Amino acid sequence: MTELVVNNIQKWLGGLQILKGASFTAERGSIVALLGASGSGKTTLLRCIAGLEQPEIGTIVIGGKTVLDGDKKLALPPEQRNIGLVFQSYALWPHRTVKENVGYGLKLRNVSPTDIGKRVQAILDRMGLGHLADRYPSQLSGGQQQRVAICRALVYEPRVLLLDEPLSNLDAKLREEARYWIRKLILDLQICAILVTHDQGEALAAADNILLLQDGRIVQQGGPQEIYSNPNSFYSADFLGANNIVSGKVQTVDGKSAVIGGNGWSLNGTVREAAGLGQSQDARAVIRVEQIKVSDTPATDGIEMQLDDSIYLGDRWEYRLSRGDFVVKAHGTKRMATGKVWAQIPQESIWVFSGAQK
Amino acid sequence: MSTHAQAPAALPMTKAAAEKKYPAKMPRHGNASVYRTVVIGLLAIAVLAPVGLIIYQSFLSAAFFSPRAKFGLDAYRYVFTDRNFYKALGTTAVFSFGMVAIAVPLGGLLAFLITRTDIKGKRLLEILVLVPMFISSIVLAFGYTVSVGPTGFVSLFIRGLIGFVPWNIYSLPGMILIAGLSHVPHVYLYVSSSMRNLPSDLEEAARTTGASIWQVSRDVTLPMVLPSLIFAASLNILLGFETFGIPLVLGDPNGIMVLTTYIYKLTTLFGTPTYQLMAVVAVVLILITLPLVWAQRKLLKNARKYVAMGGKGARVATLKLGRGGQVIALSIIGFWLFVSVVLPIGGITVRAFVDAWGEGVNLFAQLTFANFDHLLEVPSLVRGIINTVILSVVGGAVAVGIYLMVGLAGHRNWGASNTLLDYIVLLPRALPGLVIGLAFFWVFLFVPLLTPLRPTLISIFVAYVVVGLSYGLRLLQGTLLQVAPELEESARTTGATIGRTWKDVVIPIVRPGLAGAWALIMIIFLREYATGVYLMGAGTEVIGSLMVSLLQTGAMNTIAALSLISVVLTGAGLALALRLGAKIHD
Repeated sequence: MTELVVNNIQKWLGGLQILKGASFTAERGSIVALLGASGSGKTTLLRCIAGLEQPEIGTIVIGGKTVLDGDKKLALPPEQRNIGLVFQSYALWPHRTVKENVGYGLKLRNVSPTDIGKRVQAILDRMGLGHLADRYPSQLSGGQQQRVAICRALVYEPRVLLLDEPLSNLDAKLREEARYWIRKLILDLQICAILVTHDQGEALAAADNILLLQDGRIVQQGGPQEIYSNPNSFYSADFLGANNIVSGKVQTVDGKSAVIGGNGWSLNGTVREAAGLGQSQDARAVIRVEQIKVSDTPATDGIEMQLDDSIYLGDRWEYRLSRGDFVVKAHGTKRMATGKVWAQIPQESIWVFSGAQK
Repeated sequence: MSTHAQAPAALPMTKAAAEKKYPAKMPRHGNASVYRTVVIGLLAIAVLAPVGLIIYQSFLSAAFFSPRAKFGLDAYRYVFTDRNFYKALGTTAVFSFGMVAIAVPLGGLLAFLITRTDIKGKRLLEILVLVPMFISSIVLAFGYTVSVGPTGFVSLFIRGLIGFVPWNIYSLPGMILIAGLSHVPHVYLYVSSSMRNLPSDLEEAARTTGASIWQVSRDVTLPMVLPSLIFAASLNILLGFETFGIPLVLGDPNGIMVLTTYIYKLTTLFGTPTYQLMAVVAVVLILITLPLVWAQRKLLKNARKYVAMGGKGARVATLKLGRGGQVIALSIIGFWLFVSVVLPIGGITVRAFVDAWGEGVNLFAQLTFANFDHLLEVPSLVRGIINTVILSVVGGAVAVGIYLMVGLAGHRNWGASNTLLDYIVLLPRALPGLVIGLAFFWVFLFVPLLTPLRPTLISIFVAYVVVGLSYGLRLLQGTLLQVAPELEESARTTGATIGRTWKDVVIPIVRPGLAGAWALIMIIFLREYATGVYLMGAGTEVIGSLMVSLLQTGAMNTIAALSLISVVLTGAGLALALRLGAKIHD
């Protein structure tokens, strides 16, 4: 069931347009991630949905109710949108106990005090916070504060749960746990959730659908696997994963396949974006680091390269390879002596884009 | 390079084009715009009505309620041909600049010693240095009269030693010196806060490149705090133009007049109140002070920019003074404290408990409570003390409530009403208390509905609220801004209206700040003396204004007793403020 419809949201700040027509929908029981670099407009888009910012153009429908309509100049304030928002800083009220923080939304909805008590205790117990109900936020750890903030936004069963970088203030280990249980909670409760993040790992692990934002526009959307393995632009390809960027000149183009090369090397790649790819024009290739296999014995389909160095990373080794101005990184399980090696790169993993900067 | 040079010319074009494309803003629903408009509108009326009345009165030929009053420039003609007016204007200018020349270097030095060196007793000094600011200048001036005036205790002691008194405080230099010394805290306050914010790594960087401590102070520290020094100077020029107590007590006996005392004397000059002439001088005063306030606002914005460049949470490394340095620094501060706190307050304390003194009289033999006994016998004086306490304690609390309402109206507000609020708040700063009091006196005479309120404390309270507006609102706005925006936004997204958010989140969080603000406003109302001069009537006396009128009769015993009571009350208020954790350093 579609809980959120966002259509053609445009917002200006002074003379600068910071959202340039973002549209998407979100379903109950799924998580949509807004992924992008800082300044891409993802947080602004979230705040527009929450009603904390007012876009000039566009419509937003939450749970069947139109909360924003640019043409009719209708913009409901946040309190009338029936949403829950978890802030990056958690924004727990310091003068209220955990119980009072969580129960406030119910109090505003005129729920009787006994019911408030029950529902607050139930959700706190569910999150393993039952014993902290009478503490103040300052007496909690960061992870506990984050869970209280999620309880507070969920307890009154909003139609849409908005999460603004909810994991960025946690340490790395806690973060991996949190993205797992947040996903599980949202699927269990069948909520519609929107997650803003700049961390691709978070988006890939937690979301059902990822919207990649660049400069106020959604440049690509799709499931995590789709968006990771099938990027439609250089920006998408480069933003996700650990990549090698190779610059060269187009030698031949033939439909979906292209050969690019430089000083003493050439590669057979796959064309991902045909525009601007003509004979002897500049081209860039994106190769995911994990797609390169390195061996110290000659391989027929491999390119002969120079191994400049092997770097120990703990769980694996990183190889620094070069051949003329063709320089890449790759990973492997063992140390290799510097010198001549062979790198195997599947043609479908060499994504060729135009070299023109966009 | 050529493209770079063209950029400024191209910019306005693209900006205009962008604005053209820019679609109309969405209306902000649920942003309490009705509340904001009503509160800011009422405030605008409360501030603009008195000012409007002054301007209106200045163009009449007689008092506005007189049937003979006609429109015209007679009043301006009289004032602008009066030699005394020009003399007063010149004296005011000399007085203000002289005061700045003393207060700014001294205040800067004190700020440097207290914030940037390891001077002993820092915590105590930080509070002591501000004391002169909290005492009304009429009390201070009177204190100097009884200690170093022609027949003051110290003067008599010196004359006994060397045969003559080497100073005369009843002179322009005397006035300037005393005003300069007592305005040091105003400079200290601004300069010390900017010095505190100055990250010491900037100085350390200079030290590592080989500069000596004094070179660093001159080449790095001084330029960095220059904006705040300039701001403090402009503030003091403004205060100089508005000052009333010191020229009244010290200048008046020798006929030295400044603009405020000129206004005050116009009443007695003609025997009958010459409202139109007073109004003209008030208008002139506003025309001088308003641009100053304006300039200050700009300076403050720039000064903040300067401060923002420093890292946050900057560590301040203190300069080691060494034993000799400690002695010199403490002596400077000690001498200043002696002259600007101990001399006047000590003088008042002694004077309040003696009836007669002179050469060869043993003061200890003269100690008496007669001054206080006498004071308690005069109903108007007793009422004055009670009224002052009521106005400060209760009125101060109500005023904080009003400033809070105004503060909320301007809290995270956009658009025209916010700009209006900004400018309205500036206006009272350009008005001396004497003029605000006069203007409200007229308002309460002029508006039939308000006339019954004139003989009540409400009339004085309203004027006090306007007098304290800039300071009080700045206190409240500062407190409100400390509430992180997400705390309010999270209440809104949870389902609270803006009113509920203020009630349930904003106000509970700022409550400790409100208590501190109450104590500070209390002190402001306690020390106020000029505002009540015209507004005060039988039953609505206040200590400060009683002292102004008693000065005319020369009842020194009573003034001394009242001064001491005022000092004690202020001390109690200050103790309460510190207890409540008020941020007197903001």
